Amino acid sequence: MADIFDRFAGLMAQRDALFGDGGRDPFSVTMTEVLSQTEAMIDGHRTILVGTNNYLGLTFAPEALAAAHAALDAGGTGTTGSRVANGTYSGHTELEQALREFYNTKHAMVFSTGFLANAGILSTLMGPDDFILMDADCHASIYDGVRASAAQIIRFKHNDAADLDKRLARLADKPGNKLIVVEGIYSMLGDMAPMKEIAAVKRKHANTYLLSDEAHSLGVLGKYGRGLPEQEGVEEDVDFIVGTFSKSVGTVGGFCVSNHPQFNILRLVCRAYVFTASLPPAVVAAAKVNLGLIHNGGALRTRLMRNARHLHTGLSELGLKIASGVSPVVAVVAPDPQVAATFWRGLLDAGVYVNLALPPATPFGYSLLRASLCAVHTEEQLDEVIAIFAGVATSLGLIEPHRKRLAAG
Amino acid sequence: MAAGQHNEPSPETFAALYELIGTFNKTGAALAPETRFAEDLNFDSLIVMEFVASVEDKFDISMPLNILPDILTIGDFGVALEKLLSER
Repeated sequence: MADIFDRFAGLMAQRDALFGDGGRDPFSVTMTEVLSQTEAMIDGHRTILVGTNNYLGLTFAPEALAAAHAALDAGGTGTTGSRVANGTYSGHTELEQALREFYNTKHAMVFSTGFLANAGILSTLMGPDDFILMDADCHASIYDGVRASAAQIIRFKHNDAADLDKRLARLADKPGNKLIVVEGIYSMLGDMAPMKEIAAVKRKHANTYLLSDEAHSLGVLGKYGRGLPEQEGVEEDVDFIVGTFSKSVGTVGGFCVSNHPQFNILRLVCRAYVFTASLPPAVVAAAKVNLGLIHNGGALRTRLMRNARHLHTGLSELGLKIASGVSPVVAVVAPDPQVAATFWRGLLDAGVYVNLALPPATPFGYSLLRASLCAVHTEEQLDEVIAIFAGVATSLGLIEPHRKRLAAG
Repeated sequence: MAAGQHNEPSPETFAALYELIGTFNKTGAALAPETRFAEDLNFDSLIVMEFVASVEDKFDISMPLNILPDILTIGDFGVALEKLLSER
């Protein structure tokens, strides 16, 4: 008789090969004390955090902490209800108003996580005669959303507007609506969509809409932090923006904004919205305050990009392979999963936390040490990170010792 | 999509598929209608994506991902492909 978990045997064998020796593994990393946005105690050791997606460092913004404390005391620890039952407090409607003002859109809908926002919108929006054209490197929440959709799903080559154009042209005679799905910044490698070209392709084809997941670009790109469409000047062409409060916004939750006049019907049909408890009052209050800080956060964005350049340059000069150009995600490519796992463990033991990302969650089958920057990382912290990368990479034989650039050098 | 529900794909369809699969076949496994993509050819999701794109480009059709879970063998793929071509 087969065991119910037998179908995971291959995955379990892979896990045990990488981490079965009893050493530290990514699944059991526990922050026993959070010291700041950029440091925590992990297993009793002070560790620099370079993999939290906390791009602007707003998790401890004093204004947001104060608003969250007040909302917690006034509204309690949770709403215990869905948005369409007892779970809509004035905080939730104020947060949606703040999103409308932030994006200058007519409509905004708040979900309980970013994953649910993608899964909910993408599973609901399109019908059986419609087509979703998604970038091949889209996030798991987009894949899960479209899988649950009745629409026909077509992938196009990552960041290839010409390929998208070709695929839309093939559908020209089909009567259904078409929805293009891209991300502003792709989470694993930190590369950006060619948004101007994608928008131009969208304009060229009839009945075609564009959705951008701005999870990693909200707060990061654009003069006012509205993401890649703002930076590229094509906000008019993006019909739906999906985002999360769990990165730059520094808390948890998700949203979708749109100018479509009938957008609010989704509140009745989106199951991920209807059948989930709403966000707790403290979270809602913090998100609203931090959206304001992001709108006025030009200085934070400047510091974030300066830090991104510093880490990207430092790791490149060591001789390490970085998967893409300068962005707040700096992904170091390791030769294979085993080396990546050893590399990751070596960094953690030396006091640096990054994300370990392995295929099939990564493009090109890459094994990645994925770092993400924070606006409040100091240059000293980043130099320490670079020096520790140098030491571990040298001990693994990935770089020549003479190429090592010491922090002081 | 059970192959039995449809006519057997034509030799021309198989010849075209074998040629496209050949560029992705790292196992050297023999190609036949009953050859399975995952088990026999070791196609992972990335290779499947590239293979499907190559079929779309060769035949100038759209091949929605929705049909892929029902396709296990090259024969299944041929049936699905001819169905899409007939609907064009």
